[in-house]
Amino acid sequence: MILEARIQHRLGKFTLDVKLESAGPVLGVFGASGSGKSTLLHCIAGLIKPRQADISVRTRRVCRRPGGVWVPPQRRQVAVVTQDPLLFPHLSVRGNLTYAPGARGALEGDLGLRLREVLRLEALLDRPVANLSGGEKQRVALGRALLSRPELLLLDEPTSALDADLARDVLSLLLRVKQELGVPMVCVTHKAGELMAIADDCVVLEEGKIVAQGAPVSVLARPRALGVAKLVGVDNLLRLKLLRHDEPGGVSLVDCGASLELAVPLCAVRAGGTVAVGIYADEVLLCLAAPPGISARNALAAQVTRIDSVGHEVLVGLKAGSTPLCARITPSAAQELKLETGQAVHVIIKTSACHILGD
Amino acid sequence: MFDPADWPVIRLTLLVGAISVGVSLVPGILLGWLFARWNHPLRALAQGITMLPLVLPPVVTGYLLLMLLGRKSWLGASLESITGLRIAFSTTACVVAAAVVGFPLLVESIRLSILGMDQRLESVSRSLGRSRLQTFLRVNLPLCLPGILSGAVLSFARALGEFGATIVLAGDIEGTTRTIPLAVYGHLYAVDGEAAAGRLVLVSVLISLVALMAAAWLQQRQRRRMEDQK
Repeated sequence: MILEARIQHRLGKFTLDVKLESAGPVLGVFGASGSGKSTLLHCIAGLIKPRQADISVRTRRVCRRPGGVWVPPQRRQVAVVTQDPLLFPHLSVRGNLTYAPGARGALEGDLGLRLREVLRLEALLDRPVANLSGGEKQRVALGRALLSRPELLLLDEPTSALDADLARDVLSLLLRVKQELGVPMVCVTHKAGELMAIADDCVVLEEGKIVAQGAPVSVLARPRALGVAKLVGVDNLLRLKLLRHDEPGGVSLVDCGASLELAVPLCAVRAGGTVAVGIYADEVLLCLAAPPGISARNALAAQVTRIDSVGHEVLVGLKAGSTPLCARITPSAAQELKLETGQAVHVIIKTSACHILGD
Repeated sequence: MFDPADWPVIRLTLLVGAISVGVSLVPGILLGWLFARWNHPLRALAQGITMLPLVLPPVVTGYLLLMLLGRKSWLGASLESITGLRIAFSTTACVVAAAVVGFPLLVESIRLSILGMDQRLESVSRSLGRSRLQTFLRVNLPLCLPGILSGAVLSFARALGEFGATIVLAGDIEGTTRTIPLAVYGHLYAVDGEAAAGRLVLVSVLISLVALMAAAWLQQRQRRRMEDQK
């Protein structure tokens, strides 16, 4: 176990209430801003004292309240790297890297050599921090944290303040750190790609509570919480009325308006209730005529409302009954189908591509 | 234009200024820190009392200090009986008067520099394994140094000009408590004293001007340091 935590903490109106454990090496914490991600990290690092908590970092108990166990942050061996690099402005790069106790020796030792290579620090060492670029600053911040030889490294949206290229660079550095140095990490992010790339397991936070957990692939590919679906960019987020269940058929039917029905996986919502459904635009197929004999349960008559070309993708806006939908197709498909706004098409959606959210 | 006869007065003035800043520095940093970080209803009161000498007539401050430290006061009497030290009408009295009057400038400058510091740097330092005290010494102190120094220079300049509180608490004793302002005042009322007064006035203006320029330069450095944190 790299981390076992049970935390209850109130901050004004906001309540963090989580229970999690991770065998690592990297635990992803996924959530929108304001979901409590940073509060969670601060509790683990000891930078806030939670009201009630039991936290162990690599089987060492660092906090138990009530219960009187409180290890102050400087003795937790938990380093933090945040979105802003927060380098000490009065020190040089070398001064920052060797800030932690014992880091001077570590910089000259094996770890230091590896880090100089992986994080490309050599050329930066004797520069003042004020004129480093954003990416360079973040590399130094990462080096500084690792040279304190932490038991656990907490990353709080480490790439959020960087532009796309630099963010990719920092992410690949994090991956090398993970593979070559084997430092366990907890990585907070709101980027699905980042989570997929680095985390071995993940929890999803929403309003201070864990709404989903598991392997990133399964959590992201089958989003079960509305917040997750929004974050990963599920294009069609629908709230529809549930009409009835077809248990032997394994589907529930929801109302799309104009007596069109959408077959979604069997769910626990009562007939007459509202169900939130997420559908990726990539999983929506278009067909000029109703196809005969097809396994997909949904072939809905719809109208094209708009067509947007975005790079090598075409986003097609549709209306099925009273329900707006969106399909992502290739330019070649758009050309072959000769799509125009106002055109009548059929929308094909597999039942399994309809993700029930908040179940 | 320089007269060796003025030298003891100038020397005493500089000495009083330097010692008063020296003894104020540690309490000044503590209070500046407290006023920047301590969120308590009592803070406003404590801050008000500390700032009082800035707005009180110095003569009143001197009178209050005399009540507190004079031979007839409880504190003054016990100090004298324990240490044999008599504060009123001594060089120590000059230092006390100068320190009290310059203190608000020192505290305020330090308070502002601490207030401008990014507190997250302290969190980083803690999680890198440094205790609160080490963090203070390695992060807060160096980052606030220009602010502390500019406060020190300002309160030093204020100490050089201290007159009202000094004359009440320390009197005008040649060689012991006669600093530049007291000497200027004395010369002005003496026959043919104008030349001597003029010389000291010039010295006084020069020292104050240099001090103010130094303070301005230090404040600019402090601002740049704050911007570097972003």
